[in-house]
Amino acid sequence: MLEMFEYEFMQRAFLAGFLIAILASVSGTFVVLKRYSMISETLAHSALVGIAVGLVAGYNPLWIAVVVAIFSAWLIEYLRSSFSLYSDAILAILLSGSLAIAVVIVSLGGAFNNSLFSYLFGSILAVSSADVITIFVFGGIALSLLLVFSKEFYFISYDEEVAKTSGIKVRLLNYLLVTVVAIIIALSIRVVGTLLIGALMVIPTVSALQFRVGFLHTSLISLVFALLSVACGMTLSFYFSLPSGATIVLCVLSIFILSLIVNKK
Amino acid sequence: MTFKVPIFDVKNLNFSVRGQKILSHISLEIFNAEYVAIIGPNGGGKTTLIRMLLGLDIPTNGEIKLFGKKLKNFKEWHKIGYVPQRASLVDQNFPATALDIVKMGRVSKRALFSRESKEDRDAVDDAMLKMDILNLKDKMVGTLSGGQRQRVMIARALASKPEILILDEPNTGVDIVSQRNFYSLLSKLNKEEKITIVFITHDIGVIADDIGRLMTINQKAIICNNPKEALSCEEMSELYGIEAHLIHNHKHEH
Repeated sequence: MLEMFEYEFMQRAFLAGFLIAILASVSGTFVVLKRYSMISETLAHSALVGIAVGLVAGYNPLWIAVVVAIFSAWLIEYLRSSFSLYSDAILAILLSGSLAIAVVIVSLGGAFNNSLFSYLFGSILAVSSADVITIFVFGGIALSLLLVFSKEFYFISYDEEVAKTSGIKVRLLNYLLVTVVAIIIALSIRVVGTLLIGALMVIPTVSALQFRVGFLHTSLISLVFALLSVACGMTLSFYFSLPSGATIVLCVLSIFILSLIVNKK
Repeated sequence: MTFKVPIFDVKNLNFSVRGQKILSHISLEIFNAEYVAIIGPNGGGKTTLIRMLLGLDIPTNGEIKLFGKKLKNFKEWHKIGYVPQRASLVDQNFPATALDIVKMGRVSKRALFSRESKEDRDAVDDAMLKMDILNLKDKMVGTLSGGQRQRVMIARALASKPEILILDEPNTGVDIVSQRNFYSLLSKLNKEEKITIVFITHDIGVIADDIGRLMTINQKAIICNNPKEALSCEEMSELYGIEAHLIHNHKHEH
């Protein structure tokens, strides 16, 4: 089984995958507790607009994906806090709108090819050394911000109004959280793909919640589940030549089903 | 002659939503170590008033001062402990032990990058001890009874060492025995710890013995300095049906 690590691309893929598992599960804990689960899907689709622009214009798609995802995250937070619109409706509108824009750009530019397929579903072959460094640097910054403000994010997730009356800058921190989530999603696209990253962010936390333990233990269980899913998914992807995003998500889904069965009342 | 700065100083507060008046010409002062109950019919504006005092809703016009400072300039929110109406109706699945919740009370007091200090731990332990919930420390809040959850939420508010505790219908979902214990606890916090207590309730009969002032809100405000008399007076008994008149009767040291 260890023979897969003889290949450099697998070493890179595992390194990038584990970094993404850590980032997705830590941010996912706050995303799920804030009832923001759909934001990851929406931002991933927004990132796809950046990928489309990058592919057609010949720029680095990941960088443009980061910018577009952040802009989209701010737009969601602005619409959510400034207008009396339902949050889930805002997310649904932006999700389908982004996908439509991305498809039109890609069609006009004639960029429907294998490269786009790897961005949609993830590919372990696609992870370059530069990608690993990008994920490490920006992922490190994103993780630091999540950890520094973890107590505040936890409090806001529990009760936004009470947090506000305690003097916590709720609006600013909500913007910070969605920005960090946008960055993490854009960074994860190489390995998991835009269509499947939402699952890696949400399912480990939802599975961990089934164990009904405190915040710290829930976060740790979620982290272990995410790492396990990435390790199993990438191994399956290597041996059966399947898209890594899909195999990772199938692994995390299996863990979710097992968590439900084990914790059935 | 000494001048006491009120904790809350509200002048001529009005609040309307889409042309409908919710609160009209509310003026009131709440001073240090007072024990004030707010009653009134549903939809009368009690919760709206509290939300405006906490900066959660913006008044149509009027002025609010907290600890002598205009609301927009007020920064010392840790001085105010707030327990909202839905506090005891927590999300059953939220991953939090009683200790996790009480610790939230210290979050805004901590400096950025600082770790939990001995002062933080002592404040959390002290709040849990006062609420008699140290034995529930590691229990998940979703598994606690209504009365136990209520104590956890108040302990969270107390952990920031507030000078005033504001509770909005804290007995929602709580049994009678827990309610009685709860009122004696509030009374104790007011008398022994000198914490100002302001709370919204429907249970005027139960709390009348202890409270210092009774405030009734039904678009306008009636403030009575002797709750026992107030409870038997005609205005109060008809509060839930008639338009009330403002009786502003302060006997404070100015």
